[in-house]
Amino acid sequence: MSAVGSSNPEYVVARVRARRGSLYGDEEYRKLTRMGPAEIARFMEESSYGREINALGSRHGGVDLIEYALNRNLAQQFEGILDWSEGALYDQIARYLRKFDAWNVKTIIRGVYTDADQSAIEVDLIRAGEFDDRRIRRLLEADSIDAVVDVLEDTIYGPPLREAYAEYEETDVLVPLENAVDRAFYERLLSGLGNDEPTQQYEAFLKAEVDFRNATNALRLARSGADIDPAEYFIEGGELFTRGSLARLARNLEELVEYIADSQYADELGPALRELEEADSLIAFEHATDAALLAYGDRLGTIHPVSVTPVISYILAKEREVENIRAIARGKEAGLPVDQIESELVIT
Amino acid sequence: MLEATNALGNAVLSTGGTLTDPSAAAALAVGLAALGAGYAERGIGSAAVGAMAEDDDLFVNGLILTVLPETIVILALVVVFIV
Repeated sequence: MSAVGSSNPEYVVARVRARRGSLYGDEEYRKLTRMGPAEIARFMEESSYGREINALGSRHGGVDLIEYALNRNLAQQFEGILDWSEGALYDQIARYLRKFDAWNVKTIIRGVYTDADQSAIEVDLIRAGEFDDRRIRRLLEADSIDAVVDVLEDTIYGPPLREAYAEYEETDVLVPLENAVDRAFYERLLSGLGNDEPTQQYEAFLKAEVDFRNATNALRLARSGADIDPAEYFIEGGELFTRGSLARLARNLEELVEYIADSQYADELGPALRELEEADSLIAFEHATDAALLAYGDRLGTIHPVSVTPVISYILAKEREVENIRAIARGKEAGLPVDQIESELVIT
Repeated sequence: MLEATNALGNAVLSTGGTLTDPSAAAALAVGLAALGAGYAERGIGSAAVGAMAEDDDLFVNGLILTVLPETIVILALVVVFIV
């Protein structure tokens, strides 16, 4: 529950491995893609999502019910992992889970900006990060962006947000605020990690994630045709790209894929990269990077069985499951054919 | 731990024996084996409790795996009878 004392990877890894066993496999996904939203909710109720479906069933229905149950289950599982872990392990896991804090802050800022209803914002939050319920309540009660920044004053997001707020006041666009949150998150993500063998593997994984995030961002910008310099959205900390090289590579998908295929990720991500070479669309590219990260995480989890890496590998797999079920439910709601939904899933 | 070993050594020395005395060495061997078993059980035990928290059926497996390192101590006890 805290970052003091020695770490207890044995306990956390044993629990996480047991939970990993109950994640949906190919068979379950095949069944899910042939169900309607109500049946999916029913199916989830009989599996590990039972408690959430029952708790939310009276207030929501259909795809919304599935979505909120998924979010709540995700939050509870990750909160649990943080509760169990101690010492250095806690710090390493919290680093990664802080991305949900970043997500929550961005959601709340956007909600306040668009004058959304408090309860409407609340259901979109994923309470998996480090913020406790009290801070989230205070954030939800904030009625202006200035107040949100005030509540966050004593967190890592405080100073950068305060700086970005001045820019926001001038331009009235959210981009500087959201960038400030993301930057604060990524800065903390990679700073001051230990240097034993498993931690280095973990760091390599985090760097891979930053690299892929950079690549996707650059491609999205290039595809959108907007006149924005990709270097401006560059996230520091990755190994593959520099500010300059990314801006150059973003103009051409083939060159970018070739560049990644020639990089240090080639050996580790073999099959996923071949898929990436064949990827002609942006969505396929993003799926390929997701699958590559997932495969990378799986591999990580088996090299050092008693360290942070199996935990991260589970967190990734769980996130993926939630996104897959959401994709199925949304796809069904929109009436997409089964094979198209299946192509949207990332399964390893 | 090390301080305790020193104190033990001093105590043995002050009563006239040495650590090369066979029965003292056997005692030390059993003690160290027990220490090793304890350290091994620490990790296995916490993993077993973690697994049990997820699935109660794992209780028997967890118990067996947790006490397996005890065999080291039992084997070390053989030394006591040999000397």
